[in-house]
Amino acid sequence: MNEFSLLLLAFIAYLLAMLTGFISYLRAAGRWRKISYYLGLVGFILHSLSLILRTIQGRQAPFTTMYESVSFLAWSCVLAVIIFDRKFRLEKIAPYLWLVVVALMALASSPALPKSFNPLVPALQSYWLWLHVSVTLLGEAFLAVAFVASLLYLLSPERKDGGPDYEARREKLDRVAYRAVAVGFPLFTLGALVFGMIWASQAWGRYWGWDPKEVWSLITWLFYALYLHTRLVYGWKGRKSALIAVLGFLAALFTFFGVNYFLSGLHSYA
Amino acid sequence: MASLKLGIALLILIIILAIIGTLIPQEQGPEFYREHLPGSYGLIRFLDLDHLYRSPLFLSLVFLFLLNLLSCSLQQLPARFRRLRIRDEKILASGRQPSDKRDRSQLERWLERDPLRLVALFREKGYRVQTDSEENEKLFLARKGRPGLFGPELVHLGLIIIIVGGLISAIFSQRVSLALTEGQVEKIPGQTFSLRLDRFTTEYYADGSVKDWKSLVSVLENGQLRLQKTIEVNHPLKYGHLHFFLMGYGQDWDRAEVELEISGPGVQTRTVNLRVGEAEEPGTGIRVEVLNFLPDFGVKAGGQPFSRSTEPLNPAALVEISEGGRQVFLGWVFPPPQVASHYQRSSRPELKVSLKSFRAPAFSVLEASSDPGANLVWSGSVLLILGLLASFYLPYREVRIYQRTGHPPLYLVYARKNREDFQKEVDGLLILTGRRESKDGKDE
Repeated sequence: MNEFSLLLLAFIAYLLAMLTGFISYLRAAGRWRKISYYLGLVGFILHSLSLILRTIQGRQAPFTTMYESVSFLAWSCVLAVIIFDRKFRLEKIAPYLWLVVVALMALASSPALPKSFNPLVPALQSYWLWLHVSVTLLGEAFLAVAFVASLLYLLSPERKDGGPDYEARREKLDRVAYRAVAVGFPLFTLGALVFGMIWASQAWGRYWGWDPKEVWSLITWLFYALYLHTRLVYGWKGRKSALIAVLGFLAALFTFFGVNYFLSGLHSYA
Repeated sequence: MASLKLGIALLILIIILAIIGTLIPQEQGPEFYREHLPGSYGLIRFLDLDHLYRSPLFLSLVFLFLLNLLSCSLQQLPARFRRLRIRDEKILASGRQPSDKRDRSQLERWLERDPLRLVALFREKGYRVQTDSEENEKLFLARKGRPGLFGPELVHLGLIIIIVGGLISAIFSQRVSLALTEGQVEKIPGQTFSLRLDRFTTEYYADGSVKDWKSLVSVLENGQLRLQKTIEVNHPLKYGHLHFFLMGYGQDWDRAEVELEISGPGVQTRTVNLRVGEAEEPGTGIRVEVLNFLPDFGVKAGGQPFSRSTEPLNPAALVEISEGGRQVFLGWVFPPPQVASHYQRSSRPELKVSLKSFRAPAFSVLEASSDPGANLVWSGSVLLILGLLASFYLPYREVRIYQRTGHPPLYLVYARKNREDFQKEVDGLLILTGRRESKDGKDE
């Protein structure tokens, strides 16, 4: 059993978690949701083993190439889903979160992302690699939960005849999004900005150089700062809040993928 | 006066400008923008979009944001400190009288008959409880998450310090580049010490890719060796208030040493080793001089040779050979089998000169940096993170019940977040109906 077999099994488990989650919409909701949750948990364990194997074989952090980073981001999203499902009972949200995980796993598995080990270039040989990348991706995983909840909110129109259950579900989407940002934002601040600045200072002699990756991390951070301020001080909830959360995550996606492929800079590793 | 609307507007403007700065390549010369963005050249130059992040426009927005943050924090702090006091008339005055008669009676019961149970009820929930009882009045105060009360102010203070640190760095930080070959000693400008590069090595992985560069340097002061350390990427040297980073490396092609092979009919094949600028008379009346060396030979449109890069992709040496004081050969020689006779002028065409091998001393590029703003940025970052943790994970909660003899009780529930949920929770705890007149729930 090698890392790729474990990853494939994890992918299948996540796919089944997603499918059973959507089945729960149609019938025996409680039972299918439970099955979905445990399938996700099994996938998480298999995925964790795959990452551990990769770390041992490569003798380096399992997030130095784009393939590894996408796989680790998927793993982090699963962790976020499991934690939030236990705490808030995600119900209707969970299958869409599994969809995001499946999409990330499909991307990681695609031939477009080479799977070979790349020996670490001198700039990446630092324990800050572990801290900076892992904490950032963990933060982004929770922001992904907020993104899905917000997107679902935006896609569920206001209905005067919707009934109390419908409104309660929309309110829950809004609440879950806020709670996810409350976890993801401090992690992202710590990982992307603070740890990133410390590492840049050590490697390049300056903590901030306005390179595209740094600027887009700041842009992402500013979007979520905007989200929190409008929500906490202006009392914005619902559509306006959800829109900012969606834009913030699109900025995070561009920081992760877009900068590497469309904008050049000192930061172009993974 | 601080304005949240202004703060939000500034955030949005900074986001927009920051995005523009990543789409327009920064710090390029005017020819670059004229060539690649001819239609926007005027606007780019007018708004300084080519160096946006140090432009007056961007810096003004950041400065305004800083002032607004500072003003907001100074405005909020007195109210926060007032909350710490058990008895504050302004806060007590904001308490509400429950509209439901049953709720008024219930609160009176808590204060008069069950004060100890009231205290125990809140302590079980993790609240710190204080009571104050005087002749004419009773006061009950339960609260938790005191660090969270100042969470947002800590975040703002952290950001202020980071921005100030950043401005100090932008104005006062200094960076000096040093290119040192092995054995070379360089005095650091403005300092009393020098650096000597003792050894520069490159380590490789099995697949040939670079694993590490190491510069073993010595710090010399007053002729004494003060410190010797290996500088690598991620492992700078700190001496005094300067940090030395390994920023690059290269080969000093101006001091290249070449091995030439000279042969031909009637000429004994000989090998000559020379540095650029050196000459040798290897015998039989000929003199060989190496005039120049280019690691990546190319020719400009006007026919002028130049090096296309610093990598030895197409090495060539400019060699002059004279015989009896008369030039018999002048031209660029390349490693075999390449023979470029069109770059040579020779009165003895039978003479064959080739570049057998070459090497050049490696140099290490170090950057000396001093940044007086950095420590402020680190301090600000710590406050920022502590503030975020306090705001999100130690939310401040407060319950005050106050009654003056002969008056109905006043009831005040305060939370910086999730006020409605907290209100319902406390109403449930105190067994109140929860009916009250609606009031603006905004923070003071």
